[in-house]
Amino acid sequence: MTSITIDKAARTFGSVRAVDGISLDVRDGEFFTLLGPSGCGKTTLLRMVAGFCPLDEGRILFGDARIDTLPAHKRNTGMVFQNYAVFPNMKVGDNVAYGLRARNVSKADTERRVEAALKLVQLGGYGTRWPYQLSGGQLQRVAIARAIVIEPHVLLLDEPLSNLDAKLRVEMRSEIRRIQKMLGITVLYVTHDQEEALSMSDRIAVMRSGHVEQCAEPKVIYEQPATAFVANFVGTTNLLKGTVVTRTGNDVEVKVGTTGIKADAHGAAAAVGQGVVLSLRPEALRLVASGEAPPPGWSTLVGTLGETEYLGALTRFQVKVADGTVLQLMSLVPPQGDAQVTIACDPSRVVVLPEDA
Amino acid sequence: MRTFVSRNAFPLGIAVVATAFLGLFFLYPVLKVFVSSVITPDGAHFTLQNYKDVLGSGFFLQGLTNSLSIAAMASFFSMLVGVPFAFCVARLPIAGKPVLLALTALPLVLPSFVSAYALVLMFGRAGIVTGFLRDIGIPFDSIYGVKGIVIAYTLTLYPYVVLPTVAAFKSLDVSVEEAAQNLGASRGRMLRTVTLPLVLPSILAGGLLVFIEGLENFGVPFVLAEDRPILAIEAYKMFVGETATNPSSAGVLGMLLIICTVAALLVQRGMLAQRRYATGARGATPLIDVTPGVRRLASIFCWFVIAAALVPFAAVVLISFLKFSGPVLQYQFSFSNFVQLFERSYRPLGNTLLLSTLAACVATLIGVPIGYVLVRYRSRLSAILDIVATSPFAVAGTVLGIGLVMAFSSGFLILTGTALILIIAYSVRKLPFAVRSASAIVHQIDPSLEEASISLGVPPLQTFVRIMVPLMVGGIVGAFVLTFVTIASELSSTVVLYSGQWSTMTVLMFQALEGNSPGVGTSAATILILCTVLPVALVYRLLRRYEMSML
Repeated sequence: MTSITIDKAARTFGSVRAVDGISLDVRDGEFFTLLGPSGCGKTTLLRMVAGFCPLDEGRILFGDARIDTLPAHKRNTGMVFQNYAVFPNMKVGDNVAYGLRARNVSKADTERRVEAALKLVQLGGYGTRWPYQLSGGQLQRVAIARAIVIEPHVLLLDEPLSNLDAKLRVEMRSEIRRIQKMLGITVLYVTHDQEEALSMSDRIAVMRSGHVEQCAEPKVIYEQPATAFVANFVGTTNLLKGTVVTRTGNDVEVKVGTTGIKADAHGAAAAVGQGVVLSLRPEALRLVASGEAPPPGWSTLVGTLGETEYLGALTRFQVKVADGTVLQLMSLVPPQGDAQVTIACDPSRVVVLPEDA
Repeated sequence: MRTFVSRNAFPLGIAVVATAFLGLFFLYPVLKVFVSSVITPDGAHFTLQNYKDVLGSGFFLQGLTNSLSIAAMASFFSMLVGVPFAFCVARLPIAGKPVLLALTALPLVLPSFVSAYALVLMFGRAGIVTGFLRDIGIPFDSIYGVKGIVIAYTLTLYPYVVLPTVAAFKSLDVSVEEAAQNLGASRGRMLRTVTLPLVLPSILAGGLLVFIEGLENFGVPFVLAEDRPILAIEAYKMFVGETATNPSSAGVLGMLLIICTVAALLVQRGMLAQRRYATGARGATPLIDVTPGVRRLASIFCWFVIAAALVPFAAVVLISFLKFSGPVLQYQFSFSNFVQLFERSYRPLGNTLLLSTLAACVATLIGVPIGYVLVRYRSRLSAILDIVATSPFAVAGTVLGIGLVMAFSSGFLILTGTALILIIAYSVRKLPFAVRSASAIVHQIDPSLEEASISLGVPPLQTFVRIMVPLMVGGIVGAFVLTFVTIASELSSTVVLYSGQWSTMTVLMFQALEGNSPGVGTSAATILILCTVLPVALVYRLLRRYEMSML
């Protein structure tokens, strides 16, 4: 168990800068997630830590020890692959024992530790089975047991759940988190699934074309995204371009089209006259019933009701405001049939973002 | 994207070994052939006179025309038979399909000149069927000549079209066909506008393989051409001819053969490069519903093709157990042919087994690491290695044999007359096959298995031994056996290179054909068939998994 320091790591494939000088600090025992769309460099970064992708520039440290110069087999990392990579020519027990045998652990010790690891992933007694007799979820558990049994410095997981079906995926999420907490191991986790990232991680680094857009706790990533890209990639949001018209402390008013929207700048640099982007999450917006007054201090927008989508617990619906922008909203109660509606927005939940370059 | 990136010396070492081996035993001999074609007979000056002489001679021009037109016709008829056959096997409910599939590839491992020989025994001037037809009053022209060669090629080479086409039909994304039907296309229109265009590259790739094989083959035209000129045979005659040897003309003919095959290979490469759209298939392509009548017709067609291809071999085996008095067949069961065959010596059989085993070992030991490097290390180096390692395919056995004699009969390394020169010729010729088989096997093994092992603390070389070798071993054994059997029935370079004590079963057959002693010929053929069918039958289960990608 150790901390990971990634210091200005870079790697170019042809003309593509896959990892563009990234620096990150993963704390000892932390569950750290690299989140981003495909092609953003998250897997390349993980493979740099594992030793399967040499660095063009920069360095990587486990604790105080530099490891990017070591070959992959000397780094003592446990890696879990997207497609399990369970050796098909070995029984489950031999798969899990593989790394211990490479480390010349005594036979009795190996047996004991293999069984303990299998128990930990709830596969106690499966050691004598062949991989082809197991389901996808069980194979993934074998892969996890094989990676943790060697007591690695860090556990690396490369989209480990993307080959599982939806229900199993949710189950394995808490399973992996439980194992991580029990062992107190440092985890570097790669995924493109925001729900996975939000529910499992201590901290998330949202990546985009080779660099980190924002690195923070899940709550901050969702509620205080640093850029329009993060706001859009994590969760659903409405992004509106506007200009700051007034600012008193953190209270700003932004003119979007002809409407003024009040927001809490949360310390963001948004001077009067500056162009900004507002992020309005569906939960920051609320329909105001006709005749009812909006909550004090909230801005209002008027529009016409568009398509509604019934999702069971929630209803998602669209409202087209005066300048033609379509807003996504959600509510517990399906909106009633009025064509003209008024929306109120909660200034404390509106996020002020810099204009995207 | 997920190729195994590493900067160690492994691929470089493999490339050096492969280049050294092929440079000395392939490029250097071929260069010798080329040089002999552009110098004066006394070896003193550069000249193009040899080319003028050959291309100005009606006889050799006829040989070039014969070779090309025979190869083209063989290719055409193989596609004509192979495509419907492949379609039936891949998409229709045919009776006895598992057996049919098992028998489909068999003609490729059986010696094709045995099939040609069987055609002569049955349809030649003194053939069994010819005689029978004559007796009942039907005039029958003999099988000799262009038509016989084309028939023999079609019967033995059509699997080159069938195998890739079946694979293409099976890997087709069904939803594409469903989309065509959904958009209003009838089943016939769908086949014509969607299905066939998608499998066309595979069909043409197979057809070109037949074309190249038809150009290079020595045994079939040797049996069936009589005095009609064929490039591969004329080159041989010019080189070892009893009346007057003429290495310059042999060199020119060899270069002409190489130019034709290289051109065909380049066309094939271009086609395969465009073949990117046969992906995205999920699960097995479903069979097409047909009426019982169509089903019966399709079954009859497929079984007829298989029978036509295999009956000649069966006939040879049968005949080998009948008695001959001189060249005349007596309908009487006897082992006398085998007694006659082994009377003098078991040595040729021993030679065939020994040389095939050793050459298959060399080809496998060099070919498998090359195949591994080609798949796992993508770089400019591996692109060059790919071209070097597959180039022996473009040179006919006769030409390679001639080149080896030219290169190693004097000078720093003398090999002519030894067993080594045969082993070298065989392993050079079969190296492309070994490389391709190994790549096919490595392709099927996920690279993350190796990465998993390395990340668990096992160094790369040990990982190769502990993870890759066990996973590859089945496929390697299968490829080894296929290499072994194709070497056992190799004739074209053997006839140029063998010496008295190192003659093989194929040489015995060759001599029996020349001396018109069918007893020895048929019994030698039977032993050869046993040498190829038995090992293949033993490893059939291993081969099933890979045969599509290997052949």
